[in-house]
Amino acid sequence: MKKDWTRIGRIASIVVVLAVAAVAPLVLTGGVAQNLAVLSILYAVVASNWDLTLGYAGIFNFAHVAFFGIGSYVAAIATLQFGVPVWLDLILAVVVVVAVGGLVSALALRLRGIYVALVTFALTQLCVALINSAKDITGGPVGLIGVPDLEIRGFELGSEPHAYFYAAEVLLILSTIAMRWLATSHFGLSLVALRDYEAYAVGRGIPARRQRVLAIMASSIPTSLAGCLYAHYLIVASPDVFSFSLTTLLLSMVLVGGAGTIYGPIVAAIVLTVGTEGLHQLGNIRYMIVAVLIVLTLRFLPGGLWSLWTLVPAIRRRRAARVPSPFAEEASS
Amino acid sequence: MGAIIVSGLVSGALYALVAAGLSLIWGSLGVFNFAHGVLLMTGAYAAWWLSSPDGLGLGLGIGIVGALAFMVVLGFVVYLLLVRPWIGKANAELAVIMTTIAGSIFLQNLILEIFGGRYKTIDQVVTGTVAIGGTTIQAQNLLVIILAPVLLIAMWLFLTRNRTGLAIRAVAQNQDAAQLFGIGVERIYIATFAVSAVLAGVAGILLGGLFNISPDMGTDPLLRAFVVVVFGGLGSLPGTILGAYAIGMIEAFSSYYIGIYWTPVVLFVVLIGVLVVRPTGLMGRPT
Repeated sequence: MKKDWTRIGRIASIVVVLAVAAVAPLVLTGGVAQNLAVLSILYAVVASNWDLTLGYAGIFNFAHVAFFGIGSYVAAIATLQFGVPVWLDLILAVVVVVAVGGLVSALALRLRGIYVALVTFALTQLCVALINSAKDITGGPVGLIGVPDLEIRGFELGSEPHAYFYAAEVLLILSTIAMRWLATSHFGLSLVALRDYEAYAVGRGIPARRQRVLAIMASSIPTSLAGCLYAHYLIVASPDVFSFSLTTLLLSMVLVGGAGTIYGPIVAAIVLTVGTEGLHQLGNIRYMIVAVLIVLTLRFLPGGLWSLWTLVPAIRRRRAARVPSPFAEEASS
Repeated sequence: MGAIIVSGLVSGALYALVAAGLSLIWGSLGVFNFAHGVLLMTGAYAAWWLSSPDGLGLGLGIGIVGALAFMVVLGFVVYLLLVRPWIGKANAELAVIMTTIAGSIFLQNLILEIFGGRYKTIDQVVTGTVAIGGTTIQAQNLLVIILAPVLLIAMWLFLTRNRTGLAIRAVAQNQDAAQLFGIGVERIYIATFAVSAVLAGVAGILLGGLFNISPDMGTDPLLRAFVVVVFGGLGSLPGTILGAYAIGMIEAFSSYYIGIYWTPVVLFVVLIGVLVVRPTGLMGRPT
């Protein structure tokens, strides 16, 4: 009986999400609202994928935003500088980003803990340096302007007002299904095992470095696609995507939403993107608010906003058997 | 050639000051302070505000002393709000990365809000130029080259002779044993953060005399310090200092012979090279 309710709840939430996804682009027709919606969905893709490596696998991976940026630059450079057909650049971006992600993580994961964070941070800075030094190809600090409209079988997405909205939604839904599937698979469980008790996990025969490199490569696929969509939608690729403030904003989505939950960062991405945009007139103060939110969340709600669900006793009982968030577990210990 | 070496020594000295502070905190607390670059920037702004006619106009001497005193307080506040609640918890390392990133965003935007984004300049501590060995260098550059090693030696003496300094090292080596010997670990953590913040402040004031002051002036030195500590090994002070000068020199020579835009690429390649050969840095210890 109880299991039935769980299943009904799950099916109901899927129906609600799909219904909202179908209706939202038709309701939010204003230019500003639509723009905000597309951006928040793309950020949700990036943040929820970052959660796989940062939250589930506990890798101090700060190169994730670089994957997003490289994706957008590959799309822009391929289409503008080399005349690559507009659908092929998506595939190209995924291939490049997965290759870069795999190579860098294979090297960086020779290290442990904090060193991984430092090297992956350095990679993001390297991207900015490369963009500035190879001005002829990348457009330098100005970026590349005039990225062509995304075109699928002769249909230009920009010609129809809702097209990018739907495209972003499809990407988010597919990526979320893939991430949830990965996170709950044997592969995902091995990542959590490595995070929580590495020596034991390795002792049980889990190859630590390989699993982590694979996790980073997997999470970089939807992220690079989000970067492509970002470039095609905004018509520009700008070095701002590698900036410290975007990294922090995305990081706050993962943490405030709840690391190790996938859904939490998605909700937080939408709330924080709309929130920071809504507080536009506050200028820099809104970043200060986000910073305070991060610290307060880590201090008083280590599981993030998503962990508020667990205050409902029935869900708490069910959840107790599941994978804990990397920050939530320490609160109880 | 002389000019390249001077430029390498100046950068090396500044990186050594910045990275030593990071290394010190890592050694004793086992956490990494991402707000270190912003501490540097705040120190420069404090000195500017106290000394400049556009601020309080109290003169450079009071500006420097006041700014360093302020850094002690700021180091304490950063420790109290962003580090202390997580010390001893399972995921302190990751949590403190996040909290100090948040702290640095907060401080940077606060400074931007108070002082605006326009560049400011602090007076140089010493002015004029000095000719050494056929090369003319700015006196401030010479000051940086001399002052940094003096400060680092002073810090070394403090850590090996002074009771508080010895306690810092004792806590770094074995916290439980140190506590058994009656060392107040909490007090030592605060002292470590204060020393580290003061070093950042000195670097900020020196940097502010050489270049402009802006809210993001701490970002580049912090990123270089990342490379330095990975290169030299975190927690090893000699390694960090050696790494700082090595990176400063590589940067100076690469800027001259390869080009300033490609220098970050060269540094990254060097970094990856070191990591492939020695994953814990030149003199680091495994975490």
